[in-house]
Amino acid sequence: MESIFEKLWRLGPAAFVLKAIIGAIVADGLLLAFIFLRRTYRKRFFAKRDARVFELRRQWDALISGKIPYETWRRKTFDRRIIEAMALDAFEAAGPEESARLLKFMRTSGLIEKRIFEAQHLKSWRRMRALVALGRTRAPEGVPALAEALRDRHLEIRLAALRGLGRTACPQAAEEILAWVGEAGLSVPALPLQSALIQCCAERPQLLLPFVKQAEGPLREILGRVLGEVATPAMGLELLQFVGDEREELRAAAARAMSQTDTGLAFDALTELAGDRTWFVRLRAIIGVGRLADPRAIPTLLKGLTDSNRLVRLRAAEGLVQFRAVMVPVFQQVVQLRDRYGLHAYLTALENADLRGKLEAQIQSSTRAVDEERSALQKVLQTGALPAEETSGREEVPDPAGLRP
Amino acid sequence: MIRFLEISNQTLFWYYLATNLAYLAMLIIALKTSARHQHRLESHRLSWFKDTPMTPPITIIAPAHNEETSIRVAIRNLLELDYPELEIIVVNDGSEDRTLEELREEFRLRPVRMVYVAETKSAPVRGLYRSDVDSRLVVIDKEAGGSKADAVNAGLNAATSPYVCVVDSDSVLERDGLLRIMMPILEDPKRVVAVGGIVRVLNGSEIVGGQLRRVRLPRKSLEAIQVIEYLRAFLIGREAWAQGNMLMIISGAFGLFRTDLVRAVGGYRANSIGEDMDLVARLHRHLREKGADYQIRFVPDPMCWTEVPSDLRSLGRQRARWQKGLLDVLWPNRDMLFRPRYGRIGSFALPYLWLFELFAPVMEIVGITTIILAASLGVLSRQFFLQFLIFGYAFATVISIGSVLQEEITYKRYNDWKDVVRLVSYCFFEHFPYRQMHMIWRLQGLWQYFRGDHVWKPVKRKGLASAQVQ
Repeated sequence: MESIFEKLWRLGPAAFVLKAIIGAIVADGLLLAFIFLRRTYRKRFFAKRDARVFELRRQWDALISGKIPYETWRRKTFDRRIIEAMALDAFEAAGPEESARLLKFMRTSGLIEKRIFEAQHLKSWRRMRALVALGRTRAPEGVPALAEALRDRHLEIRLAALRGLGRTACPQAAEEILAWVGEAGLSVPALPLQSALIQCCAERPQLLLPFVKQAEGPLREILGRVLGEVATPAMGLELLQFVGDEREELRAAAARAMSQTDTGLAFDALTELAGDRTWFVRLRAIIGVGRLADPRAIPTLLKGLTDSNRLVRLRAAEGLVQFRAVMVPVFQQVVQLRDRYGLHAYLTALENADLRGKLEAQIQSSTRAVDEERSALQKVLQTGALPAEETSGREEVPDPAGLRP
Repeated sequence: MIRFLEISNQTLFWYYLATNLAYLAMLIIALKTSARHQHRLESHRLSWFKDTPMTPPITIIAPAHNEETSIRVAIRNLLELDYPELEIIVVNDGSEDRTLEELREEFRLRPVRMVYVAETKSAPVRGLYRSDVDSRLVVIDKEAGGSKADAVNAGLNAATSPYVCVVDSDSVLERDGLLRIMMPILEDPKRVVAVGGIVRVLNGSEIVGGQLRRVRLPRKSLEAIQVIEYLRAFLIGREAWAQGNMLMIISGAFGLFRTDLVRAVGGYRANSIGEDMDLVARLHRHLREKGADYQIRFVPDPMCWTEVPSDLRSLGRQRARWQKGLLDVLWPNRDMLFRPRYGRIGSFALPYLWLFELFAPVMEIVGITTIILAASLGVLSRQFFLQFLIFGYAFATVISIGSVLQEEITYKRYNDWKDVVRLVSYCFFEHFPYRQMHMIWRLQGLWQYFRGDHVWKPVKRKGLASAQVQ
């Protein structure tokens, strides 16, 4: 009998194996050489870069004011990249004045034009890099190039363009994004689109309204969510139309937005939404009701405390503990609900707000409650349990989202 | 006998060739993917993610069992994480040492009543605490459940965020780790249901104030060899598998999941040995059965640093447990094999795990035995065998150096020249006798599993003292 090794040897592949050995050893050597050569190169490169950054930093004011002629560094790729990176980093932390100065520098030195060109003509990751850099400058003239990239067939380019447009945070960018989603539909994931729109619509949230009305399907939900984030008190009346919308996302957005608006208008709408059939609409409404800090909201919040969803209960409890002047009556009503989940949520919120001691003191000094009642409340507060015979046995309803209780 | 030796040798030959080719393919995929990932990173600004109000909240669950030596540093590290909406739940899983006292002292815990609903199975809870130092920190003190899974389930029951990140309490996360691991979700929240992060070896590195200050290669050879293993496993293996949406394991030391889905599959299986892999397998099953369009992704940026065993006994126990865990996951999921319903998981990922991971130590021991037998019976071409051995050695070294190269061209965390030289030299020395010992540990694991020995044997740890804590 001969082994596989014997057979291979006889058939001749031994020579092949020998070649394979040599190949593997050469590969080892090449990999090692690459690692060490790369290290050496990078060490030198970064030392050189570091020294140059230091030098340029010392001349920074002269550089951006133009005292040092732009021509002296623009043609040197190494210097230009460093200066551009420094300018873009400076944008991130700059106030309005400094931003304007930096933008002027980027314009007059031609760096923005260069980035616009790159954003329009380069491919793949180089284009992505150019798009994001363009966004970082927040230059309005960069918006058309960024908008053009939204129509690219590669998702990553579209995402980079969206990030860039978001960074510009100007209504012009919002208009471009909205026009694009209007014509192309939803061709990017929801979150980046929302983030970009939130940044761009913050200044003029009214821009969104016609698009929300016209949009359909998931896009309508996304725009609704954005609207919920950026809505201002001045938009109260316009938002009321979404309270009865068939899309739950829109109703949730309306609830979120209503909490930003005038109390009188918002109260009724939020109370209605707090009884919605969808848990996250109720959640948004309860948060909104809590934010209003209006004593009329206490019954709604108490109802929210017995909600089948844990998050709604928690938020309702957080809303209730805000009413510090009426802590004892509120606590009495919480106990009267006979809902141990609600009670736990209330006690959690109380402890998170570090108000337990205050409630204890208020119960002690309360003149409205008789002794027996006071001691019963103290006991509930200390044990976290309702009186045994009164404990409710509320049945739990299955929750497919897994978010309840 | 001779016929048996012939068949055995042939099987071994083709098996070995297939394993190496699979690794080579994975190395090529991983190098390509890493390069793409690096370019993509250039168009991301992490701070932008942080600023958006759309960034979803995360609950970190950190189970701790007898972690008195490292718990303070580890939790301080978690509290330092750069993420806008964070809740940290530390689960003290019946520690017999001073873990809870250490937490109490350091973070001024006070008992609270929180909403805790036992949706997933876990041992009874003794108390719930919130920190006065940082209200984001919640501590659950529970009776020992005998497994990490049980402790994580307790954390799940108290979690209030749409995403949970499970970490080991003896691990150190980089400040922007959560932002990085969230990136795939922020890009595509509908499809991405879980993200695995890379786990790197902490031993030997410097930690200051709960933060990793300087990454150093561990001094002990045993620990340094594990660095190469981790690089190979994460930067080559997982990177490549994730490309095909076939990632079957998200390390228990650092993984992010959609909370509703983890609850939908019943949380972690409390009696499982490899709870991290078990959860991912069940998520795949659940989502495939529902016909969902989903992704389980992997982020290779260095984010989580963990302590590895520093003595042979502990390492042996850990590896035996991993092998047991592998079998414990593969066996109950055997019905997924080659079923079209489970797509590439059933037709590719699981068969690979059976063939090249589970059976690997068996194949190795059979191979070694038959080669010795064949040699002693005089039916082995020693010259060819020797050549084949050299080829195998050189090829395996290529893969190991490839993983070091991957680290070098992408993340480059070992800045010291000496560390790199040592790391590369271990690529040549790990094959003997470490690899053979590894095989024995894995065989022990299989043997223990078949004997029904599922007892969790503690792995000796130095705590974060294995890194230089300041």
